[in-house]
Amino acid sequence: MEQIVFGIGITALAGALATVAGSAEDTESNIGSQGDPNSQVQLAPQMGFVHRIFNKAVAGEPPAYALWCALGAGLAWAFLAMHVNAVLAIVLGSILAVFVQGIYATTAYLGRTASLSKFGQPVYVDILKSMTTVAMAHAFVAIFCTVTICYLINAALGHPFPLPLLGFIWGIALGAAGSATGNPYYGKERQYQNQKFGAGVPISASGNIVRYAEAGERNSLDNGFFTAKFGGPASGLCFGLIVFLELWRTILFEKIGAGWGAIIVGVLIILIFTIVDRYIEVWARKNYGPYTAPVKEAAP
Amino acid sequence: MTAIAAKPAAGSAINPTAMVVGVVLLIILLGIAYVISPGLGLMALIGVVIGGVMIGFGVHFVPVGGAPAAMGQAPGIATGVAMLAAGAGLAGLFGGAWAADQGLVIAVITGGVGGGLMMAITCMMVNFVYVFGMGIPAASGKVAKDPITGDTQPEYKSQGTEGHGLPFVSFVGGVIGGVLGGAGGTLIYLELLDLYKATLPTMMSISAVQALPIAISVAGMFAIGLFLVNAVLTAYNITGTIEGPHDPKFKRWPRAIVASAVASALCGLVAILIVTI
Repeated sequence: MEQIVFGIGITALAGALATVAGSAEDTESNIGSQGDPNSQVQLAPQMGFVHRIFNKAVAGEPPAYALWCALGAGLAWAFLAMHVNAVLAIVLGSILAVFVQGIYATTAYLGRTASLSKFGQPVYVDILKSMTTVAMAHAFVAIFCTVTICYLINAALGHPFPLPLLGFIWGIALGAAGSATGNPYYGKERQYQNQKFGAGVPISASGNIVRYAEAGERNSLDNGFFTAKFGGPASGLCFGLIVFLELWRTILFEKIGAGWGAIIVGVLIILIFTIVDRYIEVWARKNYGPYTAPVKEAAP
Repeated sequence: MTAIAAKPAAGSAINPTAMVVGVVLLIILLGIAYVISPGLGLMALIGVVIGGVMIGFGVHFVPVGGAPAAMGQAPGIATGVAMLAAGAGLAGLFGGAWAADQGLVIAVITGGVGGGLMMAITCMMVNFVYVFGMGIPAASGKVAKDPITGDTQPEYKSQGTEGHGLPFVSFVGGVIGGVLGGAGGTLIYLELLDLYKATLPTMMSISAVQALPIAISVAGMFAIGLFLVNAVLTAYNITGTIEGPHDPKFKRWPRAIVASAVASALCGLVAILIVTI
């Protein structure tokens, strides 16, 4: 019984950490403009729209986070083998991984932006100076939380995989959850804020991203500020639910029915999410209705 | 005929010669495994091939819209095929590896459910963001009616786009893809783990207890590697984006099955050779 209570406590802690990790991951990727919407950031100068948005999408979020989390977890593992205190080992591992992320962000921004020089896109040194550190700070939160989850799973819950392998697995899952949930909000809702609300962006508008803010030109910090209000928390919720429910069903129901308990509970959870998804879909169809083309206002 | 003169076949045409060559290659690779290690090695390789084929087939179900989906220009999840499939499959592998002590069947099903769970949550959250964050209902661009619910699609599609969000059939496809990916990845892991547990102690002259962490690590790494090989291979087959099982591109799966089988057999052979030579 004590073992189960302990397991539930660790599960809850891992779920909470995952929620923070998902939120920080999405905000980091939006400040660095690493997700799929970056295709528009790369395209904009080619269409004549020079901008001040960061641009570091030389890898997708899942493989990038797999690298950083595996690196953080691997280094933490090495420090643990040297009998360094666990918390210190995780912090040190995450810090070193974040330096790699910083180098990646710097070289990616310089490389990607320099490749657009023939379209008149300048490399802004002030953007590099102010955005990279903010992205690094968010990456640290995401990596630290993920490596801590991996440590808890390995040391407290007894998963057989070594720490670096868990770092890779949960890093790639973090990137997949964060990019799947957070990308549309950053892409449609922020970069194309000038387009009609409640409709997809017409393909003909590609590249015409919003480049001006309330005062002056918009930069990636403004984008992070915006997406942290919805896209970030939604990504956090997504990753938090994945980690929490995966651990919860295993810890609580694995012993029931020689393993079948966890399977049945897993299937039930999938069915519940299927019903919720269907409800959301029908709700949207009922409340928003079919697409209506915008009516052009008559000239005064 | 030059590449320019070649007609675009929409990728659905199956090249019989290439398929036969693929099958012959597969038989040769299995034959090599039989010669080197007729018992354990061959069984492990067959398991790896089945697991690889499950991953390759499963990735076809996952609705991935790539960059256009991030702007609400195309339906699907706004990320890469290989990445999303890997995320779901590896989450499944995580669960499957945990249940490895409870036997092959339980572990493989647990892995499948883990992958399906990850995809169910992710797909639900995608629709959540589309509907409550952006005010956009789901609409498919490939079919007039959702094959499962019968909901009509074209009138909900925004002008100038190919659709957006995840219609119900895409959600179901995502879950099936996650289940197949998680189960396939776990099967590969378990087959290789059994092989390494049996061979590593004698090869390295260490006890079975000492060999276990090494066997788990190596089998885990090979399982992840094989997963990525099959996911990327399939991503090429569907040329980046797919809406799910109702998408015409889904019909290309036989090609991916043969390609996944050959690639898994080759990679699996390497995984077997490191302990049998």
